[in-house]
Amino acid sequence: MTLHVSPPLASPASATPAVVVSNLRRAYGERIVIAGLNLRIARGEFVALLGESGCGKTTLLRALAGLDPIQGGRILAPRRPAVVFQEHRLLPWDNLWRNVALGLVAPDARERAAAALAEVGLGDRLDDLPRNLSGGQAQRVALARALVQQPELLLLDEPFAALDALTRIRMHDLVRELVARHRPGVLLVTHDVDEAIALADRILVMRDGAIAFEHSVTSTTAISRAELLAELGVRSSRAPA
Amino acid sequence: MRRRADDAPLLLTFCEAGHAPAGPLAPTSRDQLVLSNIEQAAADFDELQRSDARASRPRSAAPKIGKRGLQLLSWLAPILIAAIWELLAQAGWLSPQVLPAPSKVIKTAVKLATSGGLLNDLGVSLLRAIAGFVIGGSIGFTLGVLVGFSRIAEAAIDRSVQMIRAIPFLAVLPLVIVWLGVGEAEKIFLVALGVTFPIYINTTLGIRQVDPKLIELGRVQGLGPLQLIRRIVLPGALPSILTGVRYALATAWLALVVAETIGAQSGIGFLAMDAREFLRTDVIVLTIVIYALIGVAADGIARFLERRLLAWHPNYGGGR
Repeated sequence: MTLHVSPPLASPASATPAVVVSNLRRAYGERIVIAGLNLRIARGEFVALLGESGCGKTTLLRALAGLDPIQGGRILAPRRPAVVFQEHRLLPWDNLWRNVALGLVAPDARERAAAALAEVGLGDRLDDLPRNLSGGQAQRVALARALVQQPELLLLDEPFAALDALTRIRMHDLVRELVARHRPGVLLVTHDVDEAIALADRILVMRDGAIAFEHSVTSTTAISRAELLAELGVRSSRAPA
Repeated sequence: MRRRADDAPLLLTFCEAGHAPAGPLAPTSRDQLVLSNIEQAAADFDELQRSDARASRPRSAAPKIGKRGLQLLSWLAPILIAAIWELLAQAGWLSPQVLPAPSKVIKTAVKLATSGGLLNDLGVSLLRAIAGFVIGGSIGFTLGVLVGFSRIAEAAIDRSVQMIRAIPFLAVLPLVIVWLGVGEAEKIFLVALGVTFPIYINTTLGIRQVDPKLIELGRVQGLGPLQLIRRIVLPGALPSILTGVRYALATAWLALVVAETIGAQSGIGFLAMDAREFLRTDVIVLTIVIYALIGVAADGIARFLERRLLAWHPNYGGGR
């Protein structure tokens, strides 16, 4: 006999959710940062979250990562989402494979770390120290460290913001490839409209502590840069085309 | 009046002549030369504070003479001073009662070493230093870890420790003698007391200075509290802890010198006090040299530990 458990908040169109957020609230003292936010990300879906500085994007991400407490609403997230921060946050005293294997409880931790490093193109640097890496390489190790845990939910907090333009484009390709292979649900917090368009299946704009605009990127409906910038409060006439 | 006017330029030229070679070499020669143990300890402290600045100080003269040349040059002054000392003693201008010739000190060292007494005393002194260091270091480290991690432990412990630390640890010597007599316990206690505080302070400081972003990362990666301490907090605090070890080594040595000058039946300090009774300045100078050499060796061990354990650190390891 088979038990059929109906999925929570079932919507036939989307697959298993990686995270479901309902009516989330968060305030710092008097200032309300997140006011009744709803969000749902399916496994394998790439969601980019845009918004002005201080609109609560990072607060939302930290709440999903379990780093900050929430004050209302519900988050249904995997027990341990993986996070890539703006800084690589590698342990300077550990070599690369030990950095990648941090928190990995498995007898073959070294092999799995090596495989993850090979995926980001650093398979020959297992015993190297982080201080010998460039900014882009360090961020690739941080990606390997996130993916080696095989997360259902991957949270990216402006991970490419500190990189130069060329490195950033290479990182975009790498991330797209890795996400296609591992298929976690992804929430990318970013300032960069082009980055959002380049990577995401769905683009959200956050304003006043809630999702103010949503656009699904499909092959037929391309969204214009100007349209998104307008949502972010930037007049298109002033922005370069 | 006339004399003074004549003296002035003479004195000036003397200063210049005396200063020109000694000036840039002064710190190095101070490290090597035996002045007195307390000054040695003070010099060690200076050295600790200078070592960072020295590493990065640009040196305009370096390209001309070369690194090796500078190394040799730095030994010139100490060797010259020893040679002059030897000459003065040989010529009979330095009374052996005041300062025996270096060659005489070396002869005495060989004689005492072959008769077995010296090595025994040296062993006794080293054992005292090690025992005191291990006890004081363990206490300092344990308290430091507790206070570094827990605000409650800090509130409960830190003020008391800081109050005790305000006492110069040598000032409690009379009390320690009343409590423990003048045996081994008193000496080890004094060393332990001197070692505890530098280790405590630097452990606490090191833990406080660990990058909170790395600790946050540890939580994201699912590390438990023990793993967090082992993988992130202690390695992050290690540079500071090792600085504490270096300070503690200097303090331990100072404590031992003082403790051994009082009522010891064996040890290097006993040797010196015993020699004083018989005006054997050669033995006294020898003990001072031994104290200095062991101080240098201890510092060498600390540096070695830093190079090995902090190889990842750009300021310590082979990153340059």
